[in-house]
Amino acid sequence: MSLVAVSALVACLFATPLAYLAVRGLGEGGAVAAAWASAATLEPLARTLVLGVSVAAAAAALGTALAWLVTRTDLPGRRLARLLLPLPLVMPSFIAAFALLAAFAPGGLLAGLLEPLGVEVPTLEGFWGALYVLTLFTYPYVYLPVAARLGQLPASLEESARLLGRSPAAVFRTVVAPQTAGAVWAGALLVFLYTISDFGAVQLLRYETLTSSIYASRVFDRTAALAQSLLLGLLAVAVVAAERSATRGGGPPGRLAAGRRSLRVPLGRWRVPAVAVVAGVVGLALVAPVGVLAFWAARGLLAGSTRAGALVADAGALAVPAAHTAALAVVTALVAVAAVLPLAYLTVRHPSRLAGGANAVVVGGFALPGLVVALALAFWTLQAPWPLAALYQTQALLVFAYLIHFGSQALRASQVAVAAIPGRLDDAARTLGAGRLRRLRTVELPLAAPGLLAGAGLVLLSTMKELPATLLLAPPGFETLATRIWNATEDAFLADASLAALALLLLSGVLTWFLVVRRGDAPT
Amino acid sequence: MSRKTAVVAVALLLALGSAGCGSRRDALTIYSGRTQNLIGPLLERFNKETGIPIDVKYGDSAELALLLAEEGDRTPADVFLSQSPGATGFLAGKGRLGQLEAATLDKVDARFRNADGRWVGISGRQRVLVYNSEQVAEAELPDSVLDLTGDRFTGKVAIAPSNGSFQDFVTAMRQLEGEEATAAWLKAMVANKPRTYANNNAIVEAVGRGEVEMGLVNHYYNYRFQQESPGIPSRNHSFAGDDVGALVIPSTASILAGADKTEEAGRFVDFLLSAEAQRYFSDQTFEYPLVSGIPAAAGLPPLASLRSPDYDVDALGGGLERTVELIRSSGFNGV
Repeated sequence: MSLVAVSALVACLFATPLAYLAVRGLGEGGAVAAAWASAATLEPLARTLVLGVSVAAAAAALGTALAWLVTRTDLPGRRLARLLLPLPLVMPSFIAAFALLAAFAPGGLLAGLLEPLGVEVPTLEGFWGALYVLTLFTYPYVYLPVAARLGQLPASLEESARLLGRSPAAVFRTVVAPQTAGAVWAGALLVFLYTISDFGAVQLLRYETLTSSIYASRVFDRTAALAQSLLLGLLAVAVVAAERSATRGGGPPGRLAAGRRSLRVPLGRWRVPAVAVVAGVVGLALVAPVGVLAFWAARGLLAGSTRAGALVADAGALAVPAAHTAALAVVTALVAVAAVLPLAYLTVRHPSRLAGGANAVVVGGFALPGLVVALALAFWTLQAPWPLAALYQTQALLVFAYLIHFGSQALRASQVAVAAIPGRLDDAARTLGAGRLRRLRTVELPLAAPGLLAGAGLVLLSTMKELPATLLLAPPGFETLATRIWNATEDAFLADASLAALALLLLSGVLTWFLVVRRGDAPT
Repeated sequence: MSRKTAVVAVALLLALGSAGCGSRRDALTIYSGRTQNLIGPLLERFNKETGIPIDVKYGDSAELALLLAEEGDRTPADVFLSQSPGATGFLAGKGRLGQLEAATLDKVDARFRNADGRWVGISGRQRVLVYNSEQVAEAELPDSVLDLTGDRFTGKVAIAPSNGSFQDFVTAMRQLEGEEATAAWLKAMVANKPRTYANNNAIVEAVGRGEVEMGLVNHYYNYRFQQESPGIPSRNHSFAGDDVGALVIPSTASILAGADKTEEAGRFVDFLLSAEAQRYFSDQTFEYPLVSGIPAAAGLPPLASLRSPDYDVDALGGGLERTVELIRSSGFNGV
């Protein structure tokens, strides 16, 4: 099957949620257009866009700076930083925002510590609260691909520039920035899409976006919810298409790391501020929420509980949900990379209108709320003929839901990875008579591996914390850590929720290290 | 593929396979808007007593209702348990709920069941004003929810306008006080600068911290917070018995139209109304049992003594579109 046919098939699969919205929308007729034009849609839309662009810009700056610090400098403790920095991505925003609120809110834990010292803690809410929380939890979307790209970049160019007397800042601007621009864009786009589809954080921080309107009207004003979901999806597709045409053919051709060791810029007197920045990010995005969770968990464990099924009395009950979470996430990550790789090739090597369209559909899927993805799959699967309909509420369908929800993360990282493969190597292998598959296996995949792993890592972390689609599409009785956290949070069993959330974080740390960090470190 | 990778792959497949595939044919399938913590032990007891296997899917009541509507008559579900009559009413309106037996319905006061027999209340939750006892004295709190529009409450009341229970309360208010009075109250509340929150939990938590002095919530959330953080100063204040603010709202059980396991489903709903299950609600979840003769939890006024205003509970399902519209047009954000 040709690359085009495979890519078209993949795009069709990814289009199922949008197609569902379109089918439902056509049934409603003019009501959808009316809902689009109403202030109840336009005002949240404007707020959504402002927040999306702001968070994307902030996360791009933060993620790039962190990636440069850990890959290109002699930052002390950079190996630990490489393990910790991706982890905020795995905090489910509904529990992370709750924990941060409890830490920062007036009368909260932090205020209890700081106010006796005369320090006033700012209230976390509205636009600034959402910008702060979402930036801290999404910068890994930029950090991971940029760090992967930087790890591959030949140090020789930067070394030459340094030898020619350029300052580190000038080297960054003229050499590093152009080479990593593709990865930064890719990450920033994911941050934008994540932000416009986020619900948990904006709801708790009281910043009303399109997703909060969709949530509020999902049952009793379904026309509005439908129209707003469709708008969100179309907006995402349009933004992706625009980004694609803006950056197409932009970056310089890929180069290959000549030396095994890449350049390490000595930080000198910037050592302390650099460590402070990295420690500050880890502290705010990881230690603060984890500290709150640990506090709640410890308090619950000390108090004990006689309630049947309480986690504080039997933490071993987390083993099965943890195994489910790990298995689903690893399978989804592998499937996602395999599914989007043909499309990544097509879009990078043979750009066309079709490839651009397929790209936009796949990436746009990330912006739709999980609830919409789940309802769409219920709609299509139950209508399908026998072998497909039998997949309803099985793990297979759940993996498929994750795939179309998060495949975009693997696609963007894969595109960056594929673009980084020097075309001349492929040409050389071809001249020497290597067939397509052999070239892929022996030349291209090894070179693209760090980028593909970064993509798989993103999918892995996102899948582990996914909630709405998991609740609706998992087989009855099938628990994951995320559903456990939700169950406990819903009834304010804070200690139980914290234990499950800490287990999720620990599991992500182990998987991230095993699958991404360790392999990324190995000499290629 | 290295041996290590192969071992990992096999382990993954085993982990996924261990939960079986899809729902089991012989099991009673329940979609539950009540979380595991609030119903799980009862499901186990039912299974032990009857031998009927149970498959349960937990989720948000409204989202499960949307899923059930999307699944239509192909649904694997037999029973739907909902936190609020709103989501149940939505499904009844779509013709998705079957008729319950008269003997089942009769166990519960007519106030807490559907007139057409599509659902029955299994436990009750009362609307209350949770307040921070270090910031306000209970004597300063009003007898009627209508008085919260007064000057002394400006900026001090927390509301979760997108929450199902708040919307149920507004629907009941439309019935008891009329459309105009309700619209006027909502507008006056907005003008009184309430603080809006995502849900009941967030309100009780914020009141406990002292971020806001008081908030409109269901009664049982504060009991949980008291258990989790002993010593927090959040307390429940009940409005006067006949005030619309003191509404008791049932959580519901219903059987899906065209369920495969109608007989088992019927036995299950009867079990939820048995003395054993009703006692579980009062002892373990701090809710009101709805079957007469079962006392409420210690510290709660008995249900019979609550002169909960007499409203038509069925309207909570049917009238919600209008309610949401009304809340939205009065200027609340995030609805």
